[in-house]
Amino acid sequence: MLSLILILLASLFFTGIVVRVKSLASGRKGPGILQPLKDVWRLLRKGTVFSETTSFVFQIASSIYFVSVLMAIMIVPFGKMKGLISFDGDFVFFAYVLALGKFFSIIFALDTGSSFEGMGASREALYSMLAEPAFFVLMGSFAMLTGHTSFHGIFTSLHFSSHVSYALGVLATFVLVMIAMIENSRMPIDDPKTHLELTMVHEVMILDNSGFGLGLFTLAVSLKFAMYGAIIANFFIGDVPWHYAVLVFFAVQMIFAVAVGLLESFMARFRMGHNATFIFTLTSASLLIFFGVLLVMGKFI
Amino acid sequence: MINVLLITFAATLLFIGIANRLLTFIRILALQGILLFGVSFLELNEISPLNLIFILLETIVFKAVAVPVFMNYVIKKNHITRETEPYLPYFLSLVIVTFIIIGTFLISNVIEDPRLNKVYFVVALSSLFTGLYVIMTRKKLITHVMGFLVIENGVFILSLAVGNEMPMLVNTGILLDLFVSVLLLGIFVNRIGDVLQDVDVDQLQNLKD
Amino acid sequence: MTAIYLLGALVICILLFVNRNRKVNYLLVVVFLLLQWALTAYQFMHRDTEEFCGFFKPDALALLMLTTLSIVAIPAFYHSYVYFQNRRPTPRVRSIYFMSMLLLLAAVSGAYLSNHIAVTWVFVELTTLAASGLVYHHRDASALEGTWKYIFVCSISITLVFIGILFTSIALQQAGEADLSYPMLLEKAASLDVFWLRLAFIFIFTGYTAKLGLVPMYTAGIDAKDKAPSPAGALLSSVLMNMGFLAMFRFYQVIAGTSLHAWSNNVIFIAAGLSVFVSAVYMLKVENIKRMLAYSSIEHTGLVMLGVAAGGVGYYAAVLHLILHAFAKSSLFFQISQVHRIFRSKHISETGNYFKYNLPGAMVLLLGFICATAMPPSGLFISEFMIFRSLFEGHHFVLLVVVLVLLTLIIWAFGKNILKLLFTPLANFDEEKMGKVYGYESISQFVLLGLVIYLGFNPPAEMVALIQDAVKNLPN
Repeated sequence: MLSLILILLASLFFTGIVVRVKSLASGRKGPGILQPLKDVWRLLRKGTVFSETTSFVFQIASSIYFVSVLMAIMIVPFGKMKGLISFDGDFVFFAYVLALGKFFSIIFALDTGSSFEGMGASREALYSMLAEPAFFVLMGSFAMLTGHTSFHGIFTSLHFSSHVSYALGVLATFVLVMIAMIENSRMPIDDPKTHLELTMVHEVMILDNSGFGLGLFTLAVSLKFAMYGAIIANFFIGDVPWHYAVLVFFAVQMIFAVAVGLLESFMARFRMGHNATFIFTLTSASLLIFFGVLLVMGKFI
Repeated sequence: MINVLLITFAATLLFIGIANRLLTFIRILALQGILLFGVSFLELNEISPLNLIFILLETIVFKAVAVPVFMNYVIKKNHITRETEPYLPYFLSLVIVTFIIIGTFLISNVIEDPRLNKVYFVVALSSLFTGLYVIMTRKKLITHVMGFLVIENGVFILSLAVGNEMPMLVNTGILLDLFVSVLLLGIFVNRIGDVLQDVDVDQLQNLKD
Repeated sequence: MTAIYLLGALVICILLFVNRNRKVNYLLVVVFLLLQWALTAYQFMHRDTEEFCGFFKPDALALLMLTTLSIVAIPAFYHSYVYFQNRRPTPRVRSIYFMSMLLLLAAVSGAYLSNHIAVTWVFVELTTLAASGLVYHHRDASALEGTWKYIFVCSISITLVFIGILFTSIALQQAGEADLSYPMLLEKAASLDVFWLRLAFIFIFTGYTAKLGLVPMYTAGIDAKDKAPSPAGALLSSVLMNMGFLAMFRFYQVIAGTSLHAWSNNVIFIAAGLSVFVSAVYMLKVENIKRMLAYSSIEHTGLVMLGVAAGGVGYYAAVLHLILHAFAKSSLFFQISQVHRIFRSKHISETGNYFKYNLPGAMVLLLGFICATAMPPSGLFISEFMIFRSLFEGHHFVLLVVVLVLLTLIIWAFGKNILKLLFTPLANFDEEKMGKVYGYESISQFVLLGLVIYLGFNPPAEMVALIQDAVKNLPN
């Protein structure tokens, strides 16, 4: 329960901090931190326009996407406390419930009949497909290392002892941060600011959206960001008592948001053709993590 | 700690697969030289100090400094363009290098020798096959030389695995390294740029039946 | 003595490089030849004694090869002298050529005599350096291409051999020893770990096929023999290939003492069979005489390795074939330099009617063709017949039939080209532009071919005893 509340709280500020950091880095003052929230509130009160070429899929997809993100949040633990849903193998459930949401957003984009959105949908599908083995190999390696298969079990029994485990921890954090960037369609995979034809990936999928649907999507995006921040924070919380854990949690979320903002301000997006190679590099890096785990466990001398 | 360095070495092989520019490749080779310096420093603690100093100097001075500087010079002197010009796309190279690493890992599981450190074996064989792969799929001649240097690094790692008992072999391996690199790069610097216009393998097609 | 020889060769090389005077160059070359013969005589008198901390030992095979080298070296230097008479290169080019040739011969002798697997490896690597100096002689674009390919393929092969040596050392460590000399390896052969030895054999065999001229690494040698001047090409295809054989054979002897013998024979059968096939394919379409001779060398080494893998009388036949082939092929290469001088081209379509222009040379080519394709009275006929007999006795009938068919194709291709060169008159050949060839330049080749015939039919007892001693370590 606590993790759900904390993530909801963090999501209120997350996107705002990112936008604010980007503005400050460009020398502007920028909108307030709660501005994205106010945008969402405005959108939720508006009416929606449905195109005549779409079907019922268009109407239900945004809700399903939002709900899938909420369900995924309920799995994420916080320190010693389990999430609302926790069972053995729940990280697989986590990955696939997010995939369900993503599936609906993809067919939602295809439903509009616009080749624009189809192009974005195919790219989104490719990147998710390439990032999936990275996530599974990573979580699988840690499941093998700790002997548990639920998020809660893995994070509570994870501790770093030897040189190799430290190296693995660093590499794993990097891979997880990159997966977070891919899933949230941020730099260096996708530029949320660009609305040029050939360079959009996520933005183009929600192009035909309006009003309540668009509000749900925007809310879901910020929730997803906070959720990945929570997973990364869990790496560092471990066994700390819960009041300190809350502080660490918010600190990590802040650092994550500031880092994302700075990354977006100072880095250009990769060339579209190189994106696939970059994402697959994450899979190969997670394979190295797998071998490292085997080394630590002594199954491979 | 040695294992961390060797795993990092395997990670550099992945980056060789996707290296887009020649300078990136050269920097990765310099990084490999530094990693090998660390490995040989930590591993070879049973041989004579003089021999150890020789090996350490060779890795740092030759692999990490001299050869990259020399190759930069060659690239500038022959006006070689910056792109690595592969025959296969980078994505496929990355997949293949990943499969090479997985393959050598599976092969090494067949060995039941308790005295051989398997990590050395995996990393050395991966470098060997990655180097061969780079030679086969790149057009430019200087990338062939770089692929050969990757093979040399792999052979060096393998010789470190037996280095404590037979330091002579490590020395002979270094001799090979020095000799061939000087020969190859020497010919490169002196002649190829003057005689062939574009310094890629397509130019070397004239000698056939 | 080996140390003195190597040191002397090094000193002569340096002197050649420093002093570019023509007469001094030739004098130094003669000194080297004397040194070479002195080494051969010394090693004959000190058979099977180790020297220089156990790194060198003149056993029977080394003696045979060393004698062959010393015999072939004399006409090689003579024909280089004739070559330079007619071309008048700059002193620098000439001195580098002689330096490279000297270095090649010294390194090959060192490899023949070496008793330690790593010492062989070092000398083989030196031959790459020396041979590249020879291949690059003309210094034009195609010579550069040939040199580059040669160095590159040979370097990769040498690295593969080194990896094989590392695996061998791992196997040896498990048996408790650390000395990689051949007697130690032979002694411990049965107790070496089969897994590492198998890997070592694959790597070492693949690596040495670059020097030996078998599938898969034969490609470097073809370009090298094509681009190097003919006297150098003669050395590359006779003496260098013998070195590749020796290096591989010494390791094969170790394998023959283990349970991997049958498996290694299969590997050699595949490689040798493919080599004969490849050379048949290419000889049918090749246009350049020197490349044709180079592919013919590949075919001969393929046959030699088939004999080694078949066993029995094949071992004796293989060594005999190598020695005779060295003489036959080198005499052909020496003659080609005269052909080139007359026609100014290496392409078969631009040559013809050689009988009219150079009668002794044409006789050499005809006799050389008969010798090289193993027709009687050539001594190669005897050795090839023995190889086929060993294949038959080893029940490898399918392989035997396939190889015989391929050999027929090769003989046809070889004969077609040589006979065209010898007899078919050439259209628009300007006889005024022809180079001058003297009959006495062909004497050395007649001597070599005579040796081929004589040694085949009436081998001296000493030589037979040496060959049998060379193969005594192999089973059956």
